[in-house]
Amino acid sequence: MTLSSTAAEFKNTPLYDLHREAGAKMVAFGGWMMPVSYGSVLNEHKIVRETCGIFDVSHMGEVRVKGTDARKFLQWLTINDIDRLMVGAGQYSAILNESGGMIDDLIIYRLDDDEFFICVNASNREQDYKWIKELSSRFTVEVEDESDRWAQIAVQGPKSLEVLRPLLTTNDANRLEALPYTHIQKTSLLCESVYIARTGYTGEFGFELYLPIESAQKVWSGLLDPKAPTKAHPIGLGARDTLRLEACYLLYGNDMNETVSPLEAGISWATKLDKGDFVGRAALLEQKSKGVERRVIAFKMIQDAIPRQGMKVFFGDKLIGSVTSGSVLPTVGGAGGMALIEMGTKEGDEITIEIRGQQKIAQIFKRPLYAARTKS
Amino acid sequence: MEFPKNLKYTKDHEWIDAQDKQGTIGVTGFAVEQLGDIVFVELPESGKHFKSGDSFGTIESTKTVSDLYMPVSGKVVAVNTAVKNSPESLQSDVYQNGWLVKIEMDNPSDVNNLLDAGQYEAFIKE
Repeated sequence: MTLSSTAAEFKNTPLYDLHREAGAKMVAFGGWMMPVSYGSVLNEHKIVRETCGIFDVSHMGEVRVKGTDARKFLQWLTINDIDRLMVGAGQYSAILNESGGMIDDLIIYRLDDDEFFICVNASNREQDYKWIKELSSRFTVEVEDESDRWAQIAVQGPKSLEVLRPLLTTNDANRLEALPYTHIQKTSLLCESVYIARTGYTGEFGFELYLPIESAQKVWSGLLDPKAPTKAHPIGLGARDTLRLEACYLLYGNDMNETVSPLEAGISWATKLDKGDFVGRAALLEQKSKGVERRVIAFKMIQDAIPRQGMKVFFGDKLIGSVTSGSVLPTVGGAGGMALIEMGTKEGDEITIEIRGQQKIAQIFKRPLYAARTKS
Repeated sequence: MEFPKNLKYTKDHEWIDAQDKQGTIGVTGFAVEQLGDIVFVELPESGKHFKSGDSFGTIESTKTVSDLYMPVSGKVVAVNTAVKNSPESLQSDVYQNGWLVKIEMDNPSDVNNLLDAGQYEAFIKE
């Protein structure tokens, strides 16, 4: 067998040294060296579903947009309806090119009437910023890439609040407990000033912390305090991927890219075609009127085998698409994933995945494969 | 990390225990540690013949798929179905219950070309 090794020349997060000390296996991801696991991916997956895990996601990008036209600009730039986003809330959205293809998916938080904080994917950060900056020229807005100033830690799992509580004042802990899903608030954590959002990428209850990079080590260590009544464990990107895959959250670069529209990716619910004009809308309307020709579906393997990204998908003898994300499904059981396939199949239909030359039977399932408990 | 002295090793991280004409083949503890959780093992059927260096199966962790390569030429005479059914068992026992296939070697002397424990240990430290 062949074991791969990784090359140098990647960026490190402010927590890099702590990961190495903890014995994490590091991999290159989106231009960064990130922890893929601290031991066992499967065990880390289980911890997040059952108790609480913390993730270093400092590779993610942050862009701030503010100014008198900020609302108007973002309404035109993104697919979701900014007018439905109240101050203090967050919204899943995406930015498209003129052909309706996805440049990135993102979360937009409204910090004030005319101030927004956008979390973007690490690998797209530079091109997102360039695109946003370019399109903003006709508006009275300031666009700033603040990615180098922010670290990000995700605290995920049913015990997340208990893990955070000892780091907060009683008053702030109570405020956090009352924070609705997707909302964000500024708070003090171990006396460090941070934003905490009730969001995540695991399908579990939890929070995402945006903190100045200088505060990252102190907060990370505080969250892992061995004397804490509720213990948290560090979780790598390996489990982050199996967790999000079960919840059928899309991964940019796998399940969508610049040639895939949000209608095809299955995020029509976040695509507000009736809100007025936005970049890519004309192409989406045309796609809709002609009929969407392909879509991202979820599937589970019936026959024993693990599907992987890029493997061909067949319906009968016909090649209908390919696997966009595939893995074992630790909580759901078995293996499965998502695939971008032509229309013409429905839930319950059997498809086959070509795995190393063999056709292995799988079945189309309703998304998600794991029902998210983010609101519990 | 200890590597049993009675086994021979390949640079692809397989081991073989040669007894007369029969060879028992598995993967090393080093490989399993590098891979992380083993979630799937695909093995050939008994009776199939492979040449030295042929891929005879795959071993998958949550994120990676790796081919298994034959250390020497031979015909598969037994397959470890217990490992196929619970691949995670490889994590705790790679050299005893974690064997993958047994083969009848074409030329038992072929194992002399493989690494001994000391050479393999030196190789992985490179």
